[in-house]
Amino acid sequence: MSRLEQLNDPLLIIFHFLWRLLIEATLLRTGSRAAISMRKTQGTWGLQWLLRMSPDKQDTLLKMAILSVAAILSFSTRLFSVLRFESVIHEFDPYFNYRTTRFLAEEGFYSFHNWFDDRAWYPLGRIIGGTIYPGLMVTSAFFFHVLNHFHLTIDVRNVCVFLAPLFSSFTTIVTFYFTRELKDASAGLVAAAMLSIVPGYISRSVAGSYDNEGIAIFCMLLTYTLWIKAVKTGSIFWGCLCALAYFYMVSSWGGYVFLINLIPLHVLMLMFTGRFSHRIYVAYSTVYCLGTILSMQISFVGFQPVQSSEHMAALGVFGLCQIHAFVDYLRSKMSNEHFNILFRSLVLLVGSIAFGAAAVATALGKIAPWTGRFYSLLDPSYAKNNIPIIASVSEHQPTTWSSFYFDLQLLMFLFPVGLYYCFTKLTDANIFIIMYGVTSIYFAGVMVRLMLVLAPVMCVLGGIGMSAVLTTYMKNLDNPLKKEKKSVKKLESNYPLKNEIASCVIILMTAFLLFYTYHCTWVTSEAYSSPSIVLSARGGDGSRIIFDDFREAYYWLRHNTPEDAKVMSWWDYGYQITAMANRTILVDNNTWNNTHISRVGQAMASPEEKAYEIMRELDVGYVLVIFGGLTGYSSDDINKFLWMVRIGGSTDRGSHIKEWDYYTPQGEFRVDKEGSPTLLNCLMYKMCYYRFGSVYTEGGKPTGYDRVRNTEIGNKDFELDVLEEAYTTEH
Amino acid sequence: MKAPVFVFILLHLVATALCKVKSDTIDENIVNAKVERKIDISSHLVKTSTSITLENKGSSSVRSFLFSPEPSMQKSISYIGASSKDDKEKLDVSPTSVAGKSDQVFYRVTLRSPLAGGKSTVVEVEAVFSHVLRPYPSEIAQAEKQLVVLDSNLFFYSPYSTASQTTTVVTANSNVESYTKTKPVSQSDTSIIYGPFENKPPFSEATLKVHEENNSPFLTVTSMERVVEVSHWGNIAVEEHIDMSHTGASLKGSFSRFDYQRQQDGLASIRSFKTALPASARDVYYRDEIGNISTSHMREMDESVEVELRPRFPLFGGWKTRYYLGYNVPSYEYLFSKDDHFALKMRFIDHVYDDMVVDKMQLRIILPEGVKNIELKIPFDVERQGDQVHYTYLDTLGRPVVVLNKNNLVEQHIQDFELHYTFQRLLLLQEPLLVVGAFYLLFLAVIIYVRLDFAITKDEAKESRMRVAGLIDEVQSTHDRRSALYQSYDDAINKFKASKDAAAFSASRKKIDADYKQLTQQIQNLQAQLKTEGSEASEKVAELQRLDTQYKEQVAMAIMAAEKLVAGKMGRQQYLDSESATSSKCDDTYKKMESLRAAL
Repeated sequence: MSRLEQLNDPLLIIFHFLWRLLIEATLLRTGSRAAISMRKTQGTWGLQWLLRMSPDKQDTLLKMAILSVAAILSFSTRLFSVLRFESVIHEFDPYFNYRTTRFLAEEGFYSFHNWFDDRAWYPLGRIIGGTIYPGLMVTSAFFFHVLNHFHLTIDVRNVCVFLAPLFSSFTTIVTFYFTRELKDASAGLVAAAMLSIVPGYISRSVAGSYDNEGIAIFCMLLTYTLWIKAVKTGSIFWGCLCALAYFYMVSSWGGYVFLINLIPLHVLMLMFTGRFSHRIYVAYSTVYCLGTILSMQISFVGFQPVQSSEHMAALGVFGLCQIHAFVDYLRSKMSNEHFNILFRSLVLLVGSIAFGAAAVATALGKIAPWTGRFYSLLDPSYAKNNIPIIASVSEHQPTTWSSFYFDLQLLMFLFPVGLYYCFTKLTDANIFIIMYGVTSIYFAGVMVRLMLVLAPVMCVLGGIGMSAVLTTYMKNLDNPLKKEKKSVKKLESNYPLKNEIASCVIILMTAFLLFYTYHCTWVTSEAYSSPSIVLSARGGDGSRIIFDDFREAYYWLRHNTPEDAKVMSWWDYGYQITAMANRTILVDNNTWNNTHISRVGQAMASPEEKAYEIMRELDVGYVLVIFGGLTGYSSDDINKFLWMVRIGGSTDRGSHIKEWDYYTPQGEFRVDKEGSPTLLNCLMYKMCYYRFGSVYTEGGKPTGYDRVRNTEIGNKDFELDVLEEAYTTEH
Repeated sequence: MKAPVFVFILLHLVATALCKVKSDTIDENIVNAKVERKIDISSHLVKTSTSITLENKGSSSVRSFLFSPEPSMQKSISYIGASSKDDKEKLDVSPTSVAGKSDQVFYRVTLRSPLAGGKSTVVEVEAVFSHVLRPYPSEIAQAEKQLVVLDSNLFFYSPYSTASQTTTVVTANSNVESYTKTKPVSQSDTSIIYGPFENKPPFSEATLKVHEENNSPFLTVTSMERVVEVSHWGNIAVEEHIDMSHTGASLKGSFSRFDYQRQQDGLASIRSFKTALPASARDVYYRDEIGNISTSHMREMDESVEVELRPRFPLFGGWKTRYYLGYNVPSYEYLFSKDDHFALKMRFIDHVYDDMVVDKMQLRIILPEGVKNIELKIPFDVERQGDQVHYTYLDTLGRPVVVLNKNNLVEQHIQDFELHYTFQRLLLLQEPLLVVGAFYLLFLAVIIYVRLDFAITKDEAKESRMRVAGLIDEVQSTHDRRSALYQSYDDAINKFKASKDAAAFSASRKKIDADYKQLTQQIQNLQAQLKTEGSEASEKVAELQRLDTQYKEQVAMAIMAAEKLVAGKMGRQQYLDSESATSSKCDDTYKKMESLRAAL
């Protein structure tokens, strides 16, 4: 372990070195035209060799070098957790993805497709094949099989752990192409370099965080790039490629809904600004038709693209496209007067028919009502008021300002700069990035999780801004070789201190970029590189203490309970239990059945006798609770308990569970003597604090002192009547 | 596929069994004159060591004698070994059978020298039995102590009659619940001594039952897979997959972490154990299916590397766990070679914990690709499964895997095996060459793709541009060569000034002139070509040519001045002036030319 510790610092140095190299190379490229004429002045061997090449070759070499450095950097910066801890899957959802991937890799696609999982949601079970986005699993199974075909024996777990960093390298490259389509190659390079280390993206793609988002961002940017390409060329070829990329995106993440709304929005905006043309007509028609048909092949999506309201905008714009094209055609064939009459009557007719059809379809239930998650996008308070299960997830909370700065830093300021430069030279493509930027900044404000969608566009716009500033001022720098040509200088004497201002700006920008690097590296290493499954803390003597209690518990379950034991726990731990302990669970992170989760919530919130009935009904063998009061681990089950109460009370059968019963008369949630008796006698309380009343946790405090809630617990000496302590982990 | 293999293995087993177990008879003439037996039940194993004084009452000499473990323990024997008392040399022990006693297990111990009639000798027989001690009660609560029962034979079980014998039972501690009180018996501290008993006939039996407290770890490795991967690049990787369980009295009732932590009870539970690895072991890892197990310590000692392994959770009776332990050792310590012949000498099984018991073990030795003529030498019987093939990084044909199985092993089985094989050293280069070849092909493909034009349509403008670029490159290189000639002129002039050799000077001048003309002509041609391409570079080249003419003029002037100086037609001061004038002009023109060349 100590060897790994030592590794950390060199790692940081390497990162900084790489990054500095990157900045220098970028600067060099921006000024490469100037550099070419500096032949005689720079006599170092390395540059001589470089400069002897033709400008085209130099350009390619520099581009390749910068891009590959950025790609390598984006891969390696995500490895902190692997080096510090081990190659392990993080968090909760990734464990499910890992488990399904293993199944897919071992059993093949068809049995995966037909997989009925009886380990989860006992006694209901879950049809895995039809209820997930399979893109991630198929991708890693593909990598696994290809590598193993060439006898590169790498196991599924390692493929899963390193998939997200690998795809972020790909994303870096795609960002380059994307930005190049929008502006130029140097902006692309800056954007790619920025994206490679932006914390907003790293937070979801560190090694081990094996989640849909890891590859979805790549798919999303790829789709955008191809869309821009299709819009620019108006060719069916690019449109088809874009549809394929969209298919991959749909297969991998539910966030594709954002994409299928953004592209129509772009088309709509182009119509409003009078930029609608045949190119856009061809591009959008191809993408929409092909993309929709392809996306319906994913069994989890099914007929949603033609039924649910989230997809209606795309369909509407598709219709509008046809009408617009038709109108354009008519206009070219008719006189102005006739056209106006026809146009008005047509608008009225079509408008009323469309409205009527939509109303009828909604009334008949053909168009699915808007799902809760989507409502909470539009109205941040919607979920909180209506669906406790959505509100209970921390990543569905609105974003705070500080986390914007934390995740984006410099980009927050470069974003408007980039927008400015986009507005100065408005093109079809630029309108797209503006739309993307504006909508995603709104969505990111609504939900922390969508910061991920914002990060790439921030980088793209930031890259455009930074590159534009640098190119503007790079030109103003005095060229050492042109010193003889004093006459040129005289002409520009109306711009005083031109060289000095330019140098200042460039130095400032370089400094900004350097700070950005430091910030990103720091954030990555401090905040986003701990695999939540293993906790670490500093001991009194500075040595590292590792709390590995989650795995201790899961491993105990795996080896010392009957194969078919049913484990009841709060849904957070569901995926981990199935993956690591290989035991049947009642509810998991999929949260598809609210009543079932509610039943578990009721059991946890009821007194022991009542809970016993529920547990018998659900055929529970073991109950798992996480308690952090001994070591001070704050996200334990007692702190989540209020959600259990709320969710438990949200259905008919749990209507006897009232949230207010668990508060003190003053409306506080307390576990000490003042706490409500309902709380002090419910199953969760009893399980967590069983025999805790006689434990000394901190010096100078009474026994049973809870270090998370900083109180002495209220109910100390009690016995469990219907349950028995099967196993308790060390901490 | 599997069935034939299985049948084959079965046949193989039967065949070996038939070959090995030769039938023996009980020699009536042998008598156990004196037997001292020690039964050690202080750990979870039963270790017996018996010192037998053999006497040959007959007239013919005896080469070997028979040893039979007592019937109740015959199935659990893990290890048996014998040595002669006088010189401590190991004796050969092999299983055998006796006609008419087919249900019994016998071992034939071959003596070092035949025992002549009337003579006697002393032989020590050591045997280890596993899973003999039975926990009683079989379920205990967390705080209770573990009690075990030994059921054995009071007398030495032997095919021969025994004249005099004593038996000592060594217990774990002095807490003995009960024991068989067949007189004469005495108990002191941790030992119970029975006997001496006189003149017992062959195969005599009587109950011996000891019920003692024994809190030593009843840890059993239920199955173990040891993988040894040999690389001829200098490394041997060892990985052990171990399934273990606590086979003592199982836990009754609930487990209380509080009591376990505060009162340090759970005497019979296993918190951690120590594994000794070879001293050269590096990169040790300790993990299981769900990742690294962070609770272990490693200590490097002179003779070994000691790893203290703590399972994720303490093991109570009936609890199981599983882990892998892996490490690397340098191959020079274990791999010996002569030409193409190699011998791998390693331990069949290594230390897992003190007094270990391994119920089932499989050793897989992965050899490098291309290994042939594999031969195995091993000090005890193992079952060799058919060789398998293993594919890993960069393999084409696969690596041969030798698979060995053995059941019921104890510490005494930590012995070396030898594996002889032949391997051509050149094959070592196969994999690096494969990589080099793959990259070569990749680069070649890229070069072909980039250099050749696969377009169906022709892009005139682009081709013209490329032609122009090629021409400019040529102009530049030609111009560089021409610039070098200027230097040669200078050199020639300087040499001439020093040597004053007009003939040599004019010769070298002519030569340079010729070269110069040729190069200038070449550039002229290139310029013409550029012009046909319609490139603006052509004008720059023309300018270059003009500057060059200027330069040449200066050179001519310098030559003239030098000739005048040598001929004495010009004063020294005058020459120096003119030289500095020409050289400054030259420099000026040269700079202009260079910047022009760069701007092409």
